[in-house]
Amino acid sequence: MKRVIVCYKWVPDGADIRIDERTRTLAMDGVSWTLNDFDRNAIEAGVQIKAATGCDLIGVTAGVDTEASGKDALSRGLDSLYYLSDQAMADADSRTTSEVLAGMIGRLGGADLVICSEASDDEYAQQTGPRLAALLGYSSVTCVSALSPSGESLSASRKLEEGVEDVEIAGPAVVSVVPDINQPPFPSVKQILGAKKKPSQAVALAEVVGDMDRIRPQLRTDSLLAPEVSRKRVSLSAGGVGAADAVAGLLKALAAEGVL
Amino acid sequence: MSTQWVIAETAALAAELIGGLRDLEDGVLTAFVGVDATEAKTLIALGADRVVALAPGNSTPWEDYVFPLVDRARTEAPDLVLVGATRRGRGLAAFLAASLDAPLVSDAKALSRREGRIQADRMVLGGLAVKTVSTDAATVIATVAAGVYAARAADLRRSGPIETLEPVAGRVRVTGRRLKDGGDVNLAGAKRVVGVGRGFADKADLALAEALATALGAELACSRPIAEFFKWMPEERYIGISGQAIKPDLYIAVGISGQAQHVYGIRDAKVIVSINKDETAPIGQKADYSIVGDLKEVLPVLTGAL
Ligand SMILES: Cc1cc2nc3c(=O)[nH]c(=O)nc-3n(C[C@H](O)[C@H](O)[C@H](O)COP(=O)(O)OP(=O)(O)OC[C@H]3O[C@@H](n4cnc5c(N)ncnc54)[C@H](O)[C@@H]3O)c2cc1C
Ligand SMILES: Nc1ncnc2c1ncn2[C@@H]1O[C@H](COP(=O)(O)O)[C@@H](O)[C@H]1O
Repeated sequence: MKRVIVCYKWVPDGADIRIDERTRTLAMDGVSWTLNDFDRNAIEAGVQIKAATGCDLIGVTAGVDTEASGKDALSRGLDSLYYLSDQAMADADSRTTSEVLAGMIGRLGGADLVICSEASDDEYAQQTGPRLAALLGYSSVTCVSALSPSGESLSASRKLEEGVEDVEIAGPAVVSVVPDINQPPFPSVKQILGAKKKPSQAVALAEVVGDMDRIRPQLRTDSLLAPEVSRKRVSLSAGGVGAADAVAGLLKALAAEGVL
Repeated sequence: MSTQWVIAETAALAAELIGGLRDLEDGVLTAFVGVDATEAKTLIALGADRVVALAPGNSTPWEDYVFPLVDRARTEAPDLVLVGATRRGRGLAAFLAASLDAPLVSDAKALSRREGRIQADRMVLGGLAVKTVSTDAATVIATVAAGVYAARAADLRRSGPIETLEPVAGRVRVTGRRLKDGGDVNLAGAKRVVGVGRGFADKADLALAEALATALGAELACSRPIAEFFKWMPEERYIGISGQAIKPDLYIAVGISGQAQHVYGIRDAKVIVSINKDETAPIGQKADYSIVGDLKEVLPVLTGAL
């Protein structure tokens, strides 16, 4: 392994999103951005491959205002960062994202291994890894719960519905890892300070995509709304009622609902 | 006449997708499924016009079928392809979509065709929102999970050809498969479910939830951390966007805060009850009935009263 690339996504923090109960719309202003949860595992998987092979470990991300992601991502053990920041990514679908990332990886001269996670917090599309593989002409291996380089090839375990499937991968691959592949440690103070000194390079959209038509989203968003919730929201403990009375109230209510 | 495809690992899931497509629109429907000859005949009776049986060898990843499927899609040009949203299915669908430069709606719900456009709903932002997307692409692919559609009644007069398809080897070789002994978990069909969360400080306290489940005739389920991090319960028992979605009559969330990722999996429950010591926990807004209190105190009282 000479070059390993980790794709990570910079996402809005769901905890900051407020919902207007009446209109079911989402207020995104003032929301902070964060490293996609599962991508912490993807970066750590790359760090472990680097420890085993001494490869170069590059982080690749595309989005809006992605420069801000560098501090966190680099402190987790990446050697360098290659990022694209463009408003065009604001309404990217999986086609847009994978075309842009494939263009970026192509410009870097490809890789022996590309690591994604299974899903992004915001889109949860579970598409980027295998799409990237198809576009790059690499093998795609999803649901990876263990990964180890052995000479020129890679062994991986996949966590599937019926159990674990072990595979050998020859040649370049894009793997999508599941969160139980590792437990990413918190970056140390030294790592956090060291992140600032690591190389980080921006790239423009026009440099990585030849034909802008290829990054036009194919899926149009018609609406984005909080799901309708029609729950009764009855507190049986209101007014300082004790456990016994609350339980009695609950059993009465459940009997009336016909669910006991 | 439109051309439709169903691709699924199992006959059971294929039957549901066939049912869904048949309700959506007319067309010539080919089903690519891991089945034997008898099951293939059943799928024809359930609405497929043609069944292509997939039987990968021991060292062949199921996803290797994507290569012949890409070739075939180039000639048949299906309008709509539904892929069973299993772990392998999702990966195959995305690889297929990129190879054909087609849009893919992940975990689609409420699929419809309106004025020539395919429209569908999907969950985003960890369950906080539903995004309605649409496309007028010539080939549209969607993954669809089990339980979204129902199979049709079998019509034994139907007949159709049954073929086989050979996978084309890529550079990934299966070296072993280790089946897990999952025990029998049937959350999907459970009428009553008790869900436990991180409010349980001690594994020993799970006995309180087990006693309640026994008294109610309920199945036990949990939040993701209980299964993934503490490993107190098998993963088949956790509820949410990355776990199971269930439709019980009654769900009792005990010591669960009610994050969107969890609540997504219980949205279709008829009645939701919360037992939580924090009256401001989000679950209070997402439940029908809440008891504010320490689970160690409330559970024995509830179990005793049943
Ligand atoms: C990409 C992604 C996917 C995810 N997918 C899922 C998923 O599919 N399913 C899922 O469940 N989670 C999922 N999560 C995690 C989710 O965001 C929450 O972290 C998780 O659901 C919280 O679990 P919890 O409610 O058990 O724990 P907590 O949030 O810690 O809540 C514990 C609750 O217990 C209460 N409590 C504490 N002590 C007591 C007591 N003695 N008596 C009564 N109440 C008590 C507290 O008030 C608190 O409300 C996902 C997260 C990410 C980022
Ligand atoms: N904009 C992006 N930039 C870099 N990597 C991404 C981006 N979007 C998705 N990925 C990668 O693809 C994975 C799956 O995302 P998704 O297909 O959106 O569920 C993520 O965990 C990342 O590894």
